[in-house]
Amino acid sequence: MTWQPSTPRAIFSSLDAGVFMRPCRILLLLSLPWAGAQGQGRDDGQWTMPGKNYASTRYSTLTAITAANVARLRPVWSFSTGVLGGHEGQPLVVDGTMYVVTPFPNVLYAFDLAQEGYPLKWKYRPDVSATSVGIACCDAINRGAFYTGGKIVYNLLDGHTVAVDAVTGKELWKTQIADMTRGETTPMAPFVVKDRVIVGPSGGEFGIHGWAKALDLATGRLIWTAYNAGPDSAVLAGAAFKPFYDKGPELALKTWEGDAWQTGGVPVWGWLSYDPELDLLYFGTGNAAPYNAEQRPGDNKWASSVLARRPEDGALVWAYQFTPHENWDYDANAEMILVDLTIQGRLRKTLVHFDKNGFAYTLDRVTGEVLVAEPFTTVTWAKRVDRASGRPVVDTTRLTGASRGNVRDICPSLEGGKTPVAPAAYSPRTGLFYVATNNLCMDFEASAAAHIAGTPYIGASTPYHAGPGGHMGAFIAWDARVGRKVWEIREPYPVWSGSVATAGDVVFYGTLDGWFKAADARSGKVLWKFKVGSGVVGCPITYRGPDGKQYVAIYAGIGGDWFLLSGDVRSDDPADVRPPADFAPNLARHTSQGGIVWIFGL
Amino acid sequence: MPPAVRSDAHVFAGGVAPPAGTLSNPFAGDRQAAGDGERIFRAMNCDGCHGGGALGWEGPSLVDGRWRYGGGDGEVFHSIYYGRPRGMPAYGGILETDGIWKIVTYLRAQPVPQDVPTEQWTP
Ligand code: HEC
Repeated sequence: MTWQPSTPRAIFSSLDAGVFMRPCRILLLLSLPWAGAQGQGRDDGQWTMPGKNYASTRYSTLTAITAANVARLRPVWSFSTGVLGGHEGQPLVVDGTMYVVTPFPNVLYAFDLAQEGYPLKWKYRPDVSATSVGIACCDAINRGAFYTGGKIVYNLLDGHTVAVDAVTGKELWKTQIADMTRGETTPMAPFVVKDRVIVGPSGGEFGIHGWAKALDLATGRLIWTAYNAGPDSAVLAGAAFKPFYDKGPELALKTWEGDAWQTGGVPVWGWLSYDPELDLLYFGTGNAAPYNAEQRPGDNKWASSVLARRPEDGALVWAYQFTPHENWDYDANAEMILVDLTIQGRLRKTLVHFDKNGFAYTLDRVTGEVLVAEPFTTVTWAKRVDRASGRPVVDTTRLTGASRGNVRDICPSLEGGKTPVAPAAYSPRTGLFYVATNNLCMDFEASAAAHIAGTPYIGASTPYHAGPGGHMGAFIAWDARVGRKVWEIREPYPVWSGSVATAGDVVFYGTLDGWFKAADARSGKVLWKFKVGSGVVGCPITYRGPDGKQYVAIYAGIGGDWFLLSGDVRSDDPADVRPPADFAPNLARHTSQGGIVWIFGL
Repeated sequence: MPPAVRSDAHVFAGGVAPPAGTLSNPFAGDRQAAGDGERIFRAMNCDGCHGGGALGWEGPSLVDGRWRYGGGDGEVFHSIYYGRPRGMPAYGGILETDGIWKIVTYLRAQPVPQDVPTEQWTP
């Protein structure tokens, strides 16, 4: 044939030592506020970072709204963002101001919560390349901002990080961090530790070479880059690196064949956490590329893993791979919640993580040892996690690959037993985690994929169906000490919203069919619900307003994967008319796209 | 280098159509070329953005009979060759014109669904 798909490969010649900072182990004796980290300590009623605190518990000690009075909750304010993309992430509330970042084109709004009607103080409209809308795999979403030291820091979809003055709305700096020509886009929320702004790219569907970078908070200057796969020098695995299960040098190079790591994906698009006492930064990595796993034999470290790094220089301290030789698009970008739990009579510093692969993990966050690993939804790809090796015991009949044809009934689907989009919350009062889960399974038919920079690198067709029971989602309470579900609220559709837990013993979450709900944290009884105008894929927050009252805020605005899967939820483009999702043909009956910020109060 | 293509769906100011070249598809209606086009559509990762069967994914549906940038042979060719601003990559640098025409032939051979405007849930 006349067409010849030339498959240009990115050339990675920059891996010389000079580019990477030597891991230098300087012990920083800074005492940082760990207040409210696990819900203990003082809560100033603000919401300054995506996960509420460094431990990412999404727990508030506010007590005005309780299980007894939440039925009287009513909307007090709403605002159309004017943007239709999926409204993931959460607003911030700092010093009587609410900050909202929209999906592309990434407008930043600052609302004055001290004035009636919450008028704008300012809005910031950055110049974002529209090309990013096509390079972003799964809708032009954004996961929010981080406040620190008078600055609002967030990512633009087209590969830039910006810092904006929280009082004036003036841009302080703007740094290019990612390269769209390689398929990198940047919807994740930055995470700031000390004076380091930590950022990462999406692009697991585009065969990127995934990384995390640290920028200087004051100037936006690049300080370090740590790749998630490749030679130790690029991964910043030096003398400090002591994984609990794996031994030897060059693990992230030897577990790939040839140069597959250079286009192996492993993005960073989820949430980050930090333990100031251990001085460790934790984040999950995404899937290995392409989906056709036969093109990348080996464990493919550190895809689908949790990495523990030093924020100062990026040095890798430990790593644990949830899904070795990831075959099913099981990204591990979900939040790492840092809490101290008593396990078999011993108080442990743990990290709790609900993976796309359907297992909930309780790890020792000092070492990376698996303490508990139990399924929280239907799992067919693995039988269990072997405690001695830390590896899943895989059902080999569920392995995928171009030579294996159509492999049926793999649970969870590649949407995940829980989507990393929807972070869980932890209440120290109940000792439970509150988790949005999916009950979807899939068939998986892989095919050979060619890497063409700037285009998807996938090679799989993966239709979904509902798992056992027929309901497609559930909001659950989980005991991570033993790995057991305590209660569940079944939902007709997958649950795609984050959650918040409060000292009033209520938990909040939203649904794809457009309900925002409050449940009793102890019993799982739904106490209140309100139809918010569009499906919820955002994360609720709660805060104390300038008037001293407690409020709850949430975005409505269906999108993200649901923009792709259920194309009939959109009505803005007469030139793009799509059939409904075959597995959820009624979703568009209950919702349509639309970005709205809601605030509720008593 | 393909000549400029005019979109006849645009409103012509003053009612006067601007001059333009024409592009005609050398494979128009050729079923074998449409089959080749379907394979090229997959091999060039078009399906990764437009979905299997071009039903729509991150990029718009190409088989709903509706077009942002025009559905004439020349207009579809232009979309693929030069790309479009909201994230459609320009393939003119790596795909030969015959390959693009085969994709155009494939897309234009897809049946346009009959009941596009109405989606009904009650009997
Ligand atoms: C990286 C994702 C991506 C890839 C790969 C891609 N497209 Fe697109 N395509 C888009 C997006 C997004 C648009 C909408 C662009 C706009 O509105 O400006 C689009 C628009 C188009 C249009 C115009 C549609 C209209 O309604 O006028 C055509 C035709 C098209 N693409 C064909 C293709 C073909 C053929 C290929 C493979 C050779 C391809 N695309 C590969 C994302 C992609």
